[in-house]
Amino acid sequence: MTLAIILVIAAAVALAIILRLAITRSLQARKNPGLFATIRPIDIEAFRNLINPAEDDYLRRRLPPPQFRVVRRERLRAMAAYVQVAARNAAVLVSVGEGALASGDPRVLRAAQQVVNDALLLRRNTTLALARIYLAIAWPSSGFAAVRVVARYEQLSGAAMLLGRLQNPTVPVRLSARL
Amino acid sequence: MLRPHSLLWHYLWVAPCVLLAVLALLMWRRGLHKQFPAFFSYAIFEAAGGLTVYLMDVSRSVPARTYWWSYFLFLLVEGFIKFLVVGEVFGHLLRSYPPLGKLAKVLISGVGIILVFTATMIAAYANPTSFWLISTTYTLGRSISVVQCGLILFLFVFASHFHLSWRRSAFGITLGFGVAASVHLAYWALAADWLFGQKSYLLDFLIMAAYHVCVLIWFYYLLVPQKVAATSAVSLPENSLASWNRELERLIQQ
Repeated sequence: MTLAIILVIAAAVALAIILRLAITRSLQARKNPGLFATIRPIDIEAFRNLINPAEDDYLRRRLPPPQFRVVRRERLRAMAAYVQVAARNAAVLVSVGEGALASGDPRVLRAAQQVVNDALLLRRNTTLALARIYLAIAWPSSGFAAVRVVARYEQLSGAAMLLGRLQNPTVPVRLSARL
Repeated sequence: MLRPHSLLWHYLWVAPCVLLAVLALLMWRRGLHKQFPAFFSYAIFEAAGGLTVYLMDVSRSVPARTYWWSYFLFLLVEGFIKFLVVGEVFGHLLRSYPPLGKLAKVLISGVGIILVFTATMIAAYANPTSFWLISTTYTLGRSISVVQCGLILFLFVFASHFHLSWRRSAFGITLGFGVAASVHLAYWALAADWLFGQKSYLLDFLIMAAYHVCVLIWFYYLLVPQKVAATSAVSLPENSLASWNRELERLIQQ
């Protein structure tokens, strides 16, 4: 009896999620224009400082362990905020790249494919990085590296810029705040 | 009206089978069977197998044991084909996204293992009845539904997380399977525990009506052509491209 009820609830939840995602997909397909405007630029340099292992080592040496853990957690939360923005930007760029794939211009097509591939890799890396950041928040003394996210973000910036330039040469795309 | 062997009951059992046969025929004519061979096989099997089981149910000359054995075998083969279809739509989804291929395979294998383990655990808690074949059939149906529902849910969540765009036909197949799998899971869960007792035929109406809707979903997504949306130029924020480019190159070279 209990098992049956649990399974019925699970089935109802699964159905609700599937229908919601299906409807969201249909709505997103109609909202493609102006997607670039939703990109939030990131200060890569500030993020690079935040994830610099040398800074962590310095803080570890200088601060007593309890204080180090507090500071490290603060830094990790800030890191997570950056990575979440990067993940959102990557998601927007997947959609933008997908939209541009219909272009008849082979240069735009190549650039769009590059944006989609880079954005997907970034999205994958941000997912993994977030998992590691949250793990590190729970266990602040552990080592952590989010360097791959930064590297991928820079690569994606280049690809998105190229696509933007090909689609509309008069105005560029901003993924990084300092650029 | 909501009685076994009423007109509605006959319609809800036969109509999806006939519609699937028509769908298979139209898929063949449009060459879709080459793109979705597993789903094409599924449509043919469901049409033929569903009608066979129906005829065995309404025929008075077929003993109950024979009917349940046939239904058990039908479920077994149907379950196998359904997993092939899930693999097929997953392949279609990932075809345009090679960077995600490795991660997706690892994830779906992991999810599959967890789901099979869960289904096995649930099957171990099966409620035995006096006729073991009926219990086994219900347990099999429930186990297949658990795995299938979980896999399709994973597909939707995965595609949504990475903002992947589905091809219309693959999306329709997956959506239909998702709805069917969820409703089947609820059905088998209730049926396996005999929660509705003598009124369990009411569940049959629910499951048959839901399946009818799923067949119509497949019809719509596979046969109705997609409207081509007018693509507008992407509006980009005001900025200086030259300085953007210069600064980016400087950053990369650091």
